[in-house]
Amino acid sequence: MQRQRLLSIAIYGLTSVIGGLAFIYPFLLPSIEAVGMGQAHSNDAPLLLTALVSLCFVALLFETQGQALGAKLIALLGVLVAINSVLRFVETAVPGPGGYSPIFFLIILVGYVYGGRMGFLMGALTLIVSALITGTVGPWLPYQMFTAGWIGLSAPLCHPVVRLFDGEGRRAEIVTLAIFAALWGLVYGAIMNLWFWPFFTSDPGQSWTPGIGIVEGVQRYATFYLVTSLQWDFMRSAGNVLLMLAVGAPAIRALRRFRRRFDFAYRPAPEPMPTGVVPDVAAGPRRAQ
Amino acid sequence: MTHPLAWGGWLLTTLAALSLTRNPLYLTLILLSLALVSAAAHSSASGPMPPVSPLRLTLLVVPIAALFNAAFSHTGFTVLFRIPETIPIIGGRITLEALTFGALNGLVIGGFFAAFTVLNAVLPIRSLIRLVPRAFYPVALVISIAVTFVPTTLRQFQQIREAQAIRGHRVRRIRDWLPLFMPLLVGGLERALQLAEAMTARGFAGGDNQGRQAVYQTALVGGLAAVLAGWLLRLAWGWELPGAGLMLAGAGAVIGVVASAGRRTRHTVYRVERWSRRDALILAGAAMLLVVWLAPLPGIDRQSLAFTPYPRLQPPEFDALVGAAILGLAVPAMVIADNPIIDSRKSQG
Repeated sequence: MQRQRLLSIAIYGLTSVIGGLAFIYPFLLPSIEAVGMGQAHSNDAPLLLTALVSLCFVALLFETQGQALGAKLIALLGVLVAINSVLRFVETAVPGPGGYSPIFFLIILVGYVYGGRMGFLMGALTLIVSALITGTVGPWLPYQMFTAGWIGLSAPLCHPVVRLFDGEGRRAEIVTLAIFAALWGLVYGAIMNLWFWPFFTSDPGQSWTPGIGIVEGVQRYATFYLVTSLQWDFMRSAGNVLLMLAVGAPAIRALRRFRRRFDFAYRPAPEPMPTGVVPDVAAGPRRAQ
Repeated sequence: MTHPLAWGGWLLTTLAALSLTRNPLYLTLILLSLALVSAAAHSSASGPMPPVSPLRLTLLVVPIAALFNAAFSHTGFTVLFRIPETIPIIGGRITLEALTFGALNGLVIGGFFAAFTVLNAVLPIRSLIRLVPRAFYPVALVISIAVTFVPTTLRQFQQIREAQAIRGHRVRRIRDWLPLFMPLLVGGLERALQLAEAMTARGFAGGDNQGRQAVYQTALVGGLAAVLAGWLLRLAWGWELPGAGLMLAGAGAVIGVVASAGRRTRHTVYRVERWSRRDALILAGAAMLLVVWLAPLPGIDRQSLAFTPYPRLQPPEFDALVGAAILGLAVPAMVIADNPIIDSRKSQG
């Protein structure tokens, strides 16, 4: 078990490093120019980025689903994904301001209460199911799935902070999750811009062009982000905070209650007893809570 | 019905073609092919309709991308007019080259969107789910359950809204969503519990891969480490060939794990999707484009693919073979037009 756990950590680490590098590839390219490869790589960047993100996503998905997604977790995840997809469906019908979307807070809560594995699957599968039902499958989907999966995967990182303030079940827990949701509201937008950023502009002040240093690349992207996306993403971030503050506490209580209810195991029925033998009532019911 | 894998191959080739060129002549040919396929696909419309039509989106994106690029990018020799430098960010020269580059990027984005709307239109959701590799059958099952539960959940949401409205509840603030959301969540979790019990009672269990989990994990770690090492070799030291080799070997290990786990997953199929001549034609059309554009064949001018309007706009070059290969992407238009299943759907619709 210890070995499997270490291998799991290694897979999470490697996919995060490769995925992170893939997303910041446009920033690295100018430095590659210094070793004479920048122009060659600038043409294959979008394809390589998509291939690497897809490969990491496949590896991470295989790992998260690998360790016995049994009937209980499959049913739980299926229904939670359906609920979240309906929230996105409602959002598509009645769009909120800017990048506001009601789906992220439930992804965070599922990751926080049921663990990073469930959080990753919740994030990734919410995006694909809602894309299927709203007919919005597109080139952005792998990036959305991967990034939303990261949100759920990273949600358990809130536990140490909550424990630090001894805040489980208290206001500090919701405030921590609200701050976490606010940060991801902005980071999600910043990451998602990267899949189309190399396509979209060629402004020396804001765009991806070979021939400059990493620092300037980051500065250009920061300018691009401030000009085009910050306002949009701020709405998502603010929406996440408001939803978490308004609905977070009761939702966490409900998810925890059902985590206990889902913690049951089936045992084989006892052999039929010969006549005249008094049954052992202490053996308990067949379904143990 | 056309096989989902044939559509998958067509889609990947289309995306690759759109990514590989900025030559406006080739882009126009790709978009024309997409328009033909899209017209044929949307006349059948078995899948959900997109919220925005691809043509409308392209007509919207191209001018926005062109204006945006011209406003923020002041590169290029052909100056159309100037915005006073005192205006931050957009102040400076507005050039024809920047306008053109933005418009070309808009065409690419529009093409991406059009390709996916074709896929959404021609493949029903169950076929899209079937494209999930067999190794991911738990994930495919979750998606199936979610897709099945979405209409039920929507109905439940409407019922909750009506029940709360009768009690005088109105949504004015974000906190007013609580009486709508909590019954939806708790009701959904109750249904999940019932479903889990039903699945367990009917003998649903995990896959056969538990014994090999450690082997698969080790192969995944090795594969990912090789991809990372190969990529760093290329990026940091410029070792192209060894780096690419390591990356390919690593990707092969990850794909091998998925393929091996898939082979060990037993499954039965209710609706068999058979491979037909039409599917082979679609893939042959896509393969033709890839061979002409990528294979090292003599007599083809692939430099014409790498068009850029900078620093001064020049007429794009055109290679007849490269252009003709694009027509391979239009093969599905002929196949769909000749598809009796879709024809029968149309007559029912």
